[in-house]
Amino acid sequence: MTDTANFTFSDTIAGYIDHFDAEQRLLKMHTADGRAFTVSLSEEPSAELVRNLGEPYIDASGHIDEMLSPGRFLFVYGIFYPKSDQVHCAAKRLVFLGRGAEEFRFEETGWWVRQIEQLASFYRKAQFPEGEVDFDEYRTEVRLGGEKGSSHVQETDTISRLVYGMASAYLLTGKDEYLEVAERGTEYLRKHMRVVDQEDDVVYWYHGVSIDGASERKLFSSEFSDDYDAIPMYEQIYALAGPIQTYRITGDPQIKADADATIRLFEKFFHDPELGGYYSHVDPILFSAAHESLGENKERKNWNSVGDHAPAYLINLYLATGEQSYADFLEQTFDTIVEHFPDYKTSPFVQERFHRDWSHDTEHGWQQNRAVVGHNLKIAWNLMRMNSLRSKPEYAELAGQIAELMPVAGSDQQRGGWYDVVERLKSDGEDHHRFAWHDRKAWWQQEQAILAYLILNGVSGKPAYEREARQAEAFYNAFFLDHDEGAVYFNVLAGGMPYLLGTERLKGSHSMSMYHSAELCYLAAVYNNLLIRGREMDFYFKPTPNGLPGRVLRVSPDLLPTGSVRISSVEIEGKEHSDFDAEAMTVTLPEGDDRVKVKVRLTPVAGPDGSA
Amino acid sequence: MTLDLKTRNSRKGTVAELSGEIDSATSTGLLDQLLPLLGEAKGKSLVIDLGKVEYVSSAGLRTLLVVYREAQRASATVRLTGLSEELRFVMSVTGFLDFFEESGTVSEPSTVSRALR
Repeated sequence: MTDTANFTFSDTIAGYIDHFDAEQRLLKMHTADGRAFTVSLSEEPSAELVRNLGEPYIDASGHIDEMLSPGRFLFVYGIFYPKSDQVHCAAKRLVFLGRGAEEFRFEETGWWVRQIEQLASFYRKAQFPEGEVDFDEYRTEVRLGGEKGSSHVQETDTISRLVYGMASAYLLTGKDEYLEVAERGTEYLRKHMRVVDQEDDVVYWYHGVSIDGASERKLFSSEFSDDYDAIPMYEQIYALAGPIQTYRITGDPQIKADADATIRLFEKFFHDPELGGYYSHVDPILFSAAHESLGENKERKNWNSVGDHAPAYLINLYLATGEQSYADFLEQTFDTIVEHFPDYKTSPFVQERFHRDWSHDTEHGWQQNRAVVGHNLKIAWNLMRMNSLRSKPEYAELAGQIAELMPVAGSDQQRGGWYDVVERLKSDGEDHHRFAWHDRKAWWQQEQAILAYLILNGVSGKPAYEREARQAEAFYNAFFLDHDEGAVYFNVLAGGMPYLLGTERLKGSHSMSMYHSAELCYLAAVYNNLLIRGREMDFYFKPTPNGLPGRVLRVSPDLLPTGSVRISSVEIEGKEHSDFDAEAMTVTLPEGDDRVKVKVRLTPVAGPDGSA
Repeated sequence: MTLDLKTRNSRKGTVAELSGEIDSATSTGLLDQLLPLLGEAKGKSLVIDLGKVEYVSSAGLRTLLVVYREAQRASATVRLTGLSEELRFVMSVTGFLDFFEESGTVSEPSTVSRALR
């Protein structure tokens, strides 16, 4: 320890207990990457059990000694005192993840379902405090405590993301108050944000509208600096996210028609038929990716334009319809990713920006030659989903490669959690990939890590993946849940303290609107219960039977390994219904023009070794 | 395809009288001609007279949207006049009509049948 570094500081250690000496009050532990720490507990730290949104503080201060058993994973927040060549840590706060050493509360059957209900309640109250679901009152900007901000903008994407969250909450709970928001939001998008271009036979979506009293001013092209004056693929993709999740529940043919017309937009104007992939932007008049007005966005392809179709809407559209054309689109998407994104000779991170000919674009805007950690994890997660639909060795190999590389390159093995944007290349002699702007951790990137390692664990059974998933779930649930105001924080500092400045203080913004947090709840529930722990789950739908092709309702909760889950029972309007195909996960509904509530119980199918 | 643009000044602002077809071939050139007029129309109206326009393609419609957006930035108002029933229908279906104020005649730009701003 040099003199210049001789100062006290406070920080978090995420790690596993090796030994606790109750007499000396000394805790020996090691981090995920095996570095040992000795922590003093002699200053009577507080201790708590991780709690879900909506739960009171769970004090564990009286049970510290009995809970400090070897092998347990926990968070220790302490003050570090440098002394000669050592640093002594005095613990001030302990966070346990479960009552037993091998228990993790976020693996409780209903943990994520309860969490999505809390999120849905927060956002419904924030947007519609009077109770009536009137999207004229919707605003993109929502402050920390749920109040609306001064901005009067309604962005198409954030409405869609809210709709996604509410639809997901309905799928898991069957509560009509969430479906009402999802359906009214979908109608609002259709009425206010949609352009039906009959000449080109496509649909596209306005960036949003600005409300001024009783009138609205439509915002045609993007208002954001990355995409200014252009039509970015990203915005068109996310316009579909909410409606398609709603379509899984209702089967509303208008939603599918809009999705198909928007996909025609992608194929007609964004697709590069010669060299493959999709352009990230087109100009707002000719819908040309080669227009000079696009500047640095001219003839560019990126992760969002190529790959984000899958998680945002395309997998869900396939799940709802079973149409092979969507499966083909998905296959083409992941083939493109596998072919062009790996760049492991130069970096542990994928390359995610390209020129038209797929040469690497390392000078674009803020990204330069930087990696978005969460995009790497998102690719791994979605490759594993796709591998269950159309298995290819290269899908699983790339997912596995990302999963092996990311903990060292993109996670914080001292404090837990996953970083944001880092340089893809290390400078000479550097041990770490430098952070682009800060070492904070964003909520959505934690989501990608959790879902990637959960599905990898669920499909492969590898303990290393289970460990990563648990560590990521632990950090998210310990530090991102806002127990004071509700919902989740946008960003936390490296040690887990919420970062509440600027736009990152908001609960609703251009970036945040109950999409990622709800997607996490929905799929963490699916993966934890159905894929990993062998537990049943209930899902809810509300279609019009005669509106579905063949009156067939498709209820698969995600792209899961074939035969891993089956229907065990179905209820329609509370009465048992036996006309279903358990393995195909389809329910044939009785004839009817009135909507019916369908409850489906799904059961994991035990493997030959008894595993779920 | 050709598109001609003639301008004249009226009491409330500049009138751009278009004749011909607005499609992907002519739209970029049209935008280049209309945008400078917005600067001149600051605080006033730019009236786009479509009475002699025979056809407006999707790209042409979007050109008008970009003009509208630029007008907002320039603190100018764009009014459309001379809309044929067919064009009015297309703009109504796409939602584009909501963007604009529509004048009954060129000589009376203050006679606004739709004032949504």
